[in-house]
Amino acid sequence: STHLDETSALQTRSAADVRQQWTEYESLTRDLSLSLTEQLRLILAPTLATKMRGDFRTGKRLNIKRIIPYIASQYKRDKIWMRRSVPSKRSYQIMLAVDNSKSMGESGSGSLALETLVMVSKSLSMLEVGEICVVGFGDQVKVAHEFETPFSSDAGPRILQDFAFNESRTDVTRLVRDSIELFRAARTKASGSPADLWQMELIISDGVCDSSEHEPIRRLLREALEERIMMVFVVVDDVRTKKKGESVMDLKEAKFVKDENTGASNVKIERYLDTFPFQYYLIVSDVKELPGVLATLLRQWFAEVADSSS
Amino acid sequence: MDEITVQSTGQGQVQVYFTTTSPDIELPEEKRQLRVPTSVRRYGLSQILNSESMLDTSAPIPFDFLINGTFLRTTLDEYLIAQGLSAETTLTLQYVRSLIPPLYEASF
Ligand SMILES: [Mg+2]
Repeated sequence: STHLDETSALQTRSAADVRQQWTEYESLTRDLSLSLTEQLRLILAPTLATKMRGDFRTGKRLNIKRIIPYIASQYKRDKIWMRRSVPSKRSYQIMLAVDNSKSMGESGSGSLALETLVMVSKSLSMLEVGEICVVGFGDQVKVAHEFETPFSSDAGPRILQDFAFNESRTDVTRLVRDSIELFRAARTKASGSPADLWQMELIISDGVCDSSEHEPIRRLLREALEERIMMVFVVVDDVRTKKKGESVMDLKEAKFVKDENTGASNVKIERYLDTFPFQYYLIVSDVKELPGVLATLLRQWFAEVADSSS
Repeated sequence: MDEITVQSTGQGQVQVYFTTTSPDIELPEEKRQLRVPTSVRRYGLSQILNSESMLDTSAPIPFDFLINGTFLRTTLDEYLIAQGLSAETTLTLQYVRSLIPPLYEASF
């Protein structure tokens, strides 16, 4: 059930063509991939310095907070020692979702999106922190690379064959809803302890969908958060190919708001990003900026969510 | 999560780019790009252009809109369908002072 236009010239690209394209993007972003890999290694890998934790009957160091209750309980509550805990090995399921809608091609953000995809997937596969899945979205959500499939050297070029930027809708609601389903299914198949499994999605898109979707998306994002799925929206905004006012940062929208008293419908102009539902988003106009900003954002997320729950 | 149905209730939006050949009613560059509801017709577009955040006209100027040389006489949605286009496209709308008498407005 492919959603891509069968007659599209891009669809019929040969394996040799996409391999060449992948190699090209790969060499363009090689240094950036390495830099991203190094930064992610520090963030994603569990800290090697082990922490001392309570509460044990024997141990290495006294837990000061337990001393007063210990005395007060006539020395009965005697779990007053701390031990060095062994860090558990975190594993990841990371989904990369690439916007395959027509606006990506028209806005010239398509090649920036693919560069981003190549760079990030390359970094993640070098890191070997877990499973990688790649999906395309637009009218529908199509899995281009499954979690279970190893990300081998020919996986990348094959993925590129699925992107032609020709879908006639940008259904972000469906993407988020389907992603949650994919993550749920992947979680049940994951090996190892569920508590050590982290699920994360990077959405690579021009960021533009109907703003009436923003509220339904917000509700789905709460659902994702409850299931500890992190969603990061990477807005690729190739300002070099855009007119003034066309960048997503400046983009405005007109709405008609009914005046309750007069019944007249008035025009209201708002900034598109003002209702954007993703809490974690970043805007990238050059792929060079990505390793730095992505690392900063992930570090912030781990500080806020991950480490507070462990 | 099943309560969230795919919206296709005419709340769609399309990106437009406003141009004109009349320098006196030209928009500053950063205001030419706008997302508008696909349900609007020329009257709604006229209202948008006249609004405070756009041309901020003291008295509303009725406008007509040309897309690829043809006057828009339907909603943008109908136009897109008729042309086999999707809302992923940016439409270039050339606006001109309308020659239609203001009284006629009500029918749009
Ligand atoms: Mg789009």
